[in-house]
Amino acid sequence: MRVGETAGSAECSEQRAAVRPDWGVGLVLLVVAAAAAARPLLDQLLDRPAVANWATVFVALAVQAMPFLVLGVVVSAVVAALVPAGFLPRVLPHRPAVAVPVAAAAGVALPGCECGSVPIAGRLVGQGAPAPAALAFLLSAPAINPVVLVATAVAFPGKPEVVLARFLASLVAAIVVGLVWAGRGRDDLLERARRRVSTEGRPLAVLVRTAQHDLLQAGGFLILGAAIAATLQTVVPRDVVDTVAGSGPLALLALAGLAVVMAICSEADAFVAASLTQFSLTARLGFMVVGPMVDVKLVAMQAGTFGRGFTARFAPLTFAAAVASSAVIGWWLL
Amino acid sequence: VNRAAGGAITVLVGTVLLRLTLTGTYRRYVRVGMGPFLLVAGAVVIVLGMATLVRALRDRERDGGTGPEGHEGDEGHGHGHDDRVGWLLLAPVAALLLVAPPALGSYGVDRGAAVDVRAGDSTFTPLEPGSGPVPMTLLEYNQRAFDHDGATFNGVPVQLTGFVADAEAPFRVVRYQIACCAVDAAPIAVRVVGTTGASPPRDQWVTITGTFQPAATGGDEIPAIAATSVVEIPAPDDPYE
Repeated sequence: MRVGETAGSAECSEQRAAVRPDWGVGLVLLVVAAAAAARPLLDQLLDRPAVANWATVFVALAVQAMPFLVLGVVVSAVVAALVPAGFLPRVLPHRPAVAVPVAAAAGVALPGCECGSVPIAGRLVGQGAPAPAALAFLLSAPAINPVVLVATAVAFPGKPEVVLARFLASLVAAIVVGLVWAGRGRDDLLERARRRVSTEGRPLAVLVRTAQHDLLQAGGFLILGAAIAATLQTVVPRDVVDTVAGSGPLALLALAGLAVVMAICSEADAFVAASLTQFSLTARLGFMVVGPMVDVKLVAMQAGTFGRGFTARFAPLTFAAAVASSAVIGWWLL
Repeated sequence: VNRAAGGAITVLVGTVLLRLTLTGTYRRYVRVGMGPFLLVAGAVVIVLGMATLVRALRDRERDGGTGPEGHEGDEGHGHGHDDRVGWLLLAPVAALLLVAPPALGSYGVDRGAAVDVRAGDSTFTPLEPGSGPVPMTLLEYNQRAFDHDGATFNGVPVQLTGFVADAEAPFRVVRYQIACCAVDAAPIAVRVVGTTGASPPRDQWVTITGTFQPAATGGDEIPAIAATSVVEIPAPDDPYE
């Protein structure tokens, strides 16, 4: 039996619920009312260009991510409601050397961007899929699906080798991370994803419960990440990266770092990469490989879904693998 | 976040998404093509939040206020403390319900990494000589300017719409190009020359009518337009190209 919470916290929240059954909805209304009262203050703040810029970037990140997040949440909930517990571990190959590449390649089938793949990967782990395979899927899906590859081809007209390089570099990085995690990763850090919502009950109840839980959880961390990304974009002028445009390895690292900070949707990053013409194609490849795998909003969502200890190891590992894979594939193809 | 609060937050999120889309305000943040997806997402989210609320209320009635111990198949009365992050969803909701942040303005124009609009080497058919002012995107103006040094303009007057990015003449008129949302916005600029009198204030939207002005050799990279008229206009519904 899989139960969603530890005994202690359940007791604590049940006591609260018994004392004040209506606090939740009341508090939501209170927050909205308080915001309404503070409206003149908000208006004043938005008169400052830097604050307005921050608010626009923040809201834009949140709004553009919503359709993808909803898609991911729905897929995740359907998996929870319809796939019986124990099914995934039974049908998936056990040897990581097979499971990881297969899972990474399966990322082709999920059209969307990175916000959607986090709840799905979390659900796969929760259903008992081997962690290295779920993680490889998490990394590859936002980068190698057809929508993103077509966008890349449109952004780089007449340069099909860029599309191929992006596909290969992303796939290789996802497989490397999965295999490293299979060898040296600590699955105990994934407990958070394992002890999620209960899958007991009728399918419809499970569907609603899982979708609701994932939406609040992944959505909340998405908002946190969007706030951080908007702050970094407003405070750090992007033209600082121009100073290293000419120097090979440094340029690759600079654009990889820019991808982390900007947190652009993987369906749009090719257009940004295409316009950064002062950089080499390899550096721009790094921008497109790192972005869908490691960026501030994604790291926040991964920390929320899998736990902080996990992310502290996983994000640096992924960053290193993505940069190395871009360097090698870029040197070979571009 | 207990279950009823989670449902309420979810319904609010969906409502704000729908409202944003139906009023057209979403065009300040994402590209126009996202509209249908936002509508679907908003509808799904509302249905989900309603379902959660209904279930929470029904269970409470069944339990008669004695607490949730009695009913089977725990529906998750607060998942420990993991879920508190859900409250954060109220931040953009509150912001959007009350004051919708404006479209990107002149603040970010000089802060982005340099972008090169010549990428995507398209060739243009020359404009018909003698035709009236041709409305044109700033992007096309830039690309035509770099295509054979602006030969395809044929001296035909064109009309550009954007916001003013500098306080003093000769000011730049700028419009952002977005691929997905305001986060990936790239500013496209044209310098307006030949104006007399006071320039419009920064961030004022204007429509410029004028003709292509070939760049002086070694001049700046931004193409110029010799303006015959500068008309101040309200911000357009779709502020991006």
